[in-house]
Amino acid sequence: MFSNIALAYVFIYVCIGLIAAGIILLFHMKIKHNAEQKQMEAYREKHRDYFVYIQSHLYDDVELKLPPGPLKKLERRVIEDKLIDWIEQFKGESRTKLVSLCKQSGFVAAEMKLLESLFAGRRIEAAYRLGGMRAEEAVPALEELMDSSSYGPQSIIFARAIAKSADRPDQIRMMLTKLLASGKPIHHLAADILLETRLDSAALLHKLLEDSDPGLVKVALVAMWGQAVPAAVPALDRLVGSEQKDVRAEAVKLYLASNPVMKDDTIAQLMKDEEWEVRAATAKALGRLHAAGSIPLLTAGLHDENWHVRHSSAESLSRLGEQGFEQLCQAALSTGAARDIALSRIEQVMAKEKEHEAVEQIVSFNKKKLIYESYFGMTPKKVAVQIAGVGGDYSA
Amino acid sequence: MWEAIILLRDILLTYGMVAIYYVMFVNVLYFAIMLFSFKDIRNIFRRASFSKYNTLSGSELVPSVSLLVPSFNEELTIIENVRCLMTLNYPTYEVIVINDGSSDSTMDVLIKEYELVPLTNPEVRGSIPTKNVRCVYHNEKYPHLLVIDKDNGGKADSLNAGINMSRYPLISSIDADSLLEKDALIRMARMYMENPEETVAIGGDVRIANGCVIENGAVKDVSLPKRIWPMFQSIEYLKAFLGGRIGWSRINGLIIVSGAFGLFRKDYVIAVGGYRGGYPGEDMNIIIKLHRYMLENKLKYRIAFCPEAVCWTQAPDSYSILSNQRKRWGRGNLKNMIENRDMVFNPRFKTMGMLTMPYNVIFEALNPYFRITGLLALIGYVLLDMTNWHILLVFGLVNLASGYLLSVGALILEELAFRRYTKLSDLVKMLFFSALKFVGYHQLGVLWRVQGHIQYLQNNNSWGTMTRQSWKDKNKAA
Amino acid sequence: MSPTATLQRKQQGDIRSLIEQEVRKLPNSTCGLLYLYCAGNLPDLEGHVNRFLQTLSGVNSEIRKDETTQTLAVLFPGLALDAAHYQSLLLKQHLLDIKPDADPKMTLTSVSQVPSSQMLKTLAESARLSVTTDIQIFTDDQAENASRILIVDHDESVREFLQIRLAMQGYETLEAVDGLEALKMIPMWEPDLVLTEINLYGIDGLPFIHHIHQLDVKAPPKIVVLSEKRVEQTISQCFQNGVDDYVTKPFSPVELDARIRRCLH
Repeated sequence: MFSNIALAYVFIYVCIGLIAAGIILLFHMKIKHNAEQKQMEAYREKHRDYFVYIQSHLYDDVELKLPPGPLKKLERRVIEDKLIDWIEQFKGESRTKLVSLCKQSGFVAAEMKLLESLFAGRRIEAAYRLGGMRAEEAVPALEELMDSSSYGPQSIIFARAIAKSADRPDQIRMMLTKLLASGKPIHHLAADILLETRLDSAALLHKLLEDSDPGLVKVALVAMWGQAVPAAVPALDRLVGSEQKDVRAEAVKLYLASNPVMKDDTIAQLMKDEEWEVRAATAKALGRLHAAGSIPLLTAGLHDENWHVRHSSAESLSRLGEQGFEQLCQAALSTGAARDIALSRIEQVMAKEKEHEAVEQIVSFNKKKLIYESYFGMTPKKVAVQIAGVGGDYSA
Repeated sequence: MWEAIILLRDILLTYGMVAIYYVMFVNVLYFAIMLFSFKDIRNIFRRASFSKYNTLSGSELVPSVSLLVPSFNEELTIIENVRCLMTLNYPTYEVIVINDGSSDSTMDVLIKEYELVPLTNPEVRGSIPTKNVRCVYHNEKYPHLLVIDKDNGGKADSLNAGINMSRYPLISSIDADSLLEKDALIRMARMYMENPEETVAIGGDVRIANGCVIENGAVKDVSLPKRIWPMFQSIEYLKAFLGGRIGWSRINGLIIVSGAFGLFRKDYVIAVGGYRGGYPGEDMNIIIKLHRYMLENKLKYRIAFCPEAVCWTQAPDSYSILSNQRKRWGRGNLKNMIENRDMVFNPRFKTMGMLTMPYNVIFEALNPYFRITGLLALIGYVLLDMTNWHILLVFGLVNLASGYLLSVGALILEELAFRRYTKLSDLVKMLFFSALKFVGYHQLGVLWRVQGHIQYLQNNNSWGTMTRQSWKDKNKAA
Repeated sequence: MSPTATLQRKQQGDIRSLIEQEVRKLPNSTCGLLYLYCAGNLPDLEGHVNRFLQTLSGVNSEIRKDETTQTLAVLFPGLALDAAHYQSLLLKQHLLDIKPDADPKMTLTSVSQVPSSQMLKTLAESARLSVTTDIQIFTDDQAENASRILIVDHDESVREFLQIRLAMQGYETLEAVDGLEALKMIPMWEPDLVLTEINLYGIDGLPFIHHIHQLDVKAPPKIVVLSEKRVEQTISQCFQNGVDDYVTKPFSPVELDARIRRCLH
């Protein structure tokens, strides 16, 4: 029996050995790191005047001088990081100046060398910094790195570096293709990366919309949100009829956001689309467009199975004057989901319009109030909150 | 007679040896999991330090999140907590505070601070059954804040009520006694965006805030707790989150996402019926349910852990509160294990069925019993044969050395990637308390777990007391 | 007239006549003028400075000593402010290399015509009495234009940059780290414009802006937002809440200048 205990002894010795090694390692790391931090702080202090100098003369028509003196490795790192910080913060001429300063100081060349390092960590760090310094000469090497790594956090770091550095649209396109090759639906992330470019993003997006790769089209559509790209409308016209439902949904949303003039049957068709995003976007747009046939369509939209469509329909109805408001009141007397959404919208309208001061707004409010009272009586009818009662859906 | 004693002695020894081997095996297994963490830690460090969060945190392309804050009798911490949540570095989100029928003035404090007014006919979007919602409050000046006042129904019930009111496709549950770092949510979102279709839940790293300086809803100065109970928990959390969860998440076998801070896809949470009410351990329960749902429907998925997203929480700093919390955990875990016993060693459930669940049953739930009976057997054996007293020492040393090794491992992980505690003295203090933990605290932990199990068997289902101190008092005290 | 006063006038006359000479030589160019004072005793300061300046290739310089204020005036003929700034920081680093606790204080300006002796005196005094270790820069705009701008941002590097930039433009600036601090400072300091990030600690941007409007001040400050946030909804909410302009980061400093100017006038 006792021979078995030998293993336990071995186990204990191994543990104690590892503990001792671990503690030594811990202290070594801690002391080294703290010393490094202290040194970096000292260098930051030493170069304060240089940093102030850069910040004071970023815009005048002058060429910035290189950091003074022979620099130690850590010192270079401190200055480089500071420059990258500013490059990320500024755009326009100031950024261009800082970028060329990085090149002249040899920071770019040094990081380029590190891209070939045997250690993955060094390569990733170098890629990150090269992106920060907008080094277009690093793009081919970065592309290679992206090819050789499987999809994950590091390939996203490479992709961002390429997006920042690239000075040709085809490099961006190539990067996006590589990123999407994983097959994961990461269009939003890709769009965010794409927008880091310093190229003219409107032209770039316009071109991507014409691309044969539906993935890239989708990235472009997603990226176009919030960016006014009027030149893209013809391309959108085509994409609105796309077979791919998510491409169609994004395209319709963008198309409607540009306040187009639409035929009644186009609207009716969009409100019947199988994709809820299309219906919701249409319902939302109808509130702005004041098209003749909107009210019946929106009333029908109140009964849609999707919450977003119901919500947008109610919102749009409340914008379409007394007629729309009356439809809301009627729906509030019905049952089910339509009633909930209508009630909630009515309360919001009544609460908000009370605050108006202009004469025509008061007139409009009084009209609505009359309608309201004809449906619900003089005092606001409190409907008990029912969380569990009515059915809902969770498409949100 | 003599032979019977010899037989008894041999039986006791054999059982004691089995217990020693059991402890060794558990720790080797735990160490193997930790090796996965070590394998991943450099990647985590890189993705955290070489991703610029500022561009992402202002972008329209980041998914919107509803933060759910269930709160029960939190009048002292709730304002600081909401203030913290209202100032996160995140493009589009809403904060939904759910007052779970507090008996103190949680609701009044909120109404006063944010000048809230009741919302007439609020629109309820979900239909998970919950206790009666009395009223929903808001204020136009704070368009992203919503407060739900409802009858008391427990934490799970509150979360469900929050889900019913939430607008956005992602939900995040946050304890009312916790503070998020400004970047915490955007870091999680970055992880989510990397693989949006397959990610169903992401857990955050929870750390102990006692001892830190807190100002305007943010941790301003990080330092270790000064009191002994929170200090032990600090090390415990470090070990569990860095040593354990990074490794488990790597093999997609994470069994729990801390209730203090987690991000979920709302559609899947609703698909599994929301949180289970009426029993503690709802945070583990929801994760098991998600695993089950995804595996049964043969959907590709991942439940991830994002250690760079940090949440600072107030740890119990007195014996009674801590013991209540631990008993509750023990009770909840046992309940979850028993409810899901069909998953254990069921190949249909992959990593979850073959590794995580068996591990949790054999090496977590049953752990105290093996250790206690093993110790008793060895004591009995030594009483019968005094010459072999040193076997007790071996048992003790196996426990101590392996446990300490795991603590050291966790500290190395922390040092490699996070370095939240910068002072050299902090390191010394943590090493010291890691050792001290084995004198008393560790044994208490075992005891509490057993007591929790007993409570489960007795059908005792109270939440136990959990009194709070305000952040300010606590900083003075801790 | 006391002897010291005579001496002083002589010294200033010296540097003044020197500037006069140089300006006449290069009528369309500027000269950098640096006043240097070493608080930590550095023996033979003049000699050190002289030797160092001679090692700089392509840079002319003249030194005059001002006995009353114990300062050195260094004139860089033909150098614009930025180049003079660079030479000055090289000189400062050199002095610190010789004696780490030399504590050199510098005030720098550029002149294109002969300055008044009053101005020279001010410059010398400001070098001697300076409390910062930074090189202080005087620009022409400084005196006349004194709009006050409060900078609110939790990022130190952003605050530093804006402070330097706006001070160069002749604005008076103060910094606040978060919204709550800013709300305390506004009634006391009454800035003309608040330049703020909307993602702040302590209080969220929208309520912060709302609170500014509620403050009891004579003239409510203009508000310009400089933020990472590019979400359309947030931007329109800001304008609804009475924000005067919204600039997103990364920003172009030149454009920011223009927008601030437009808001103030």
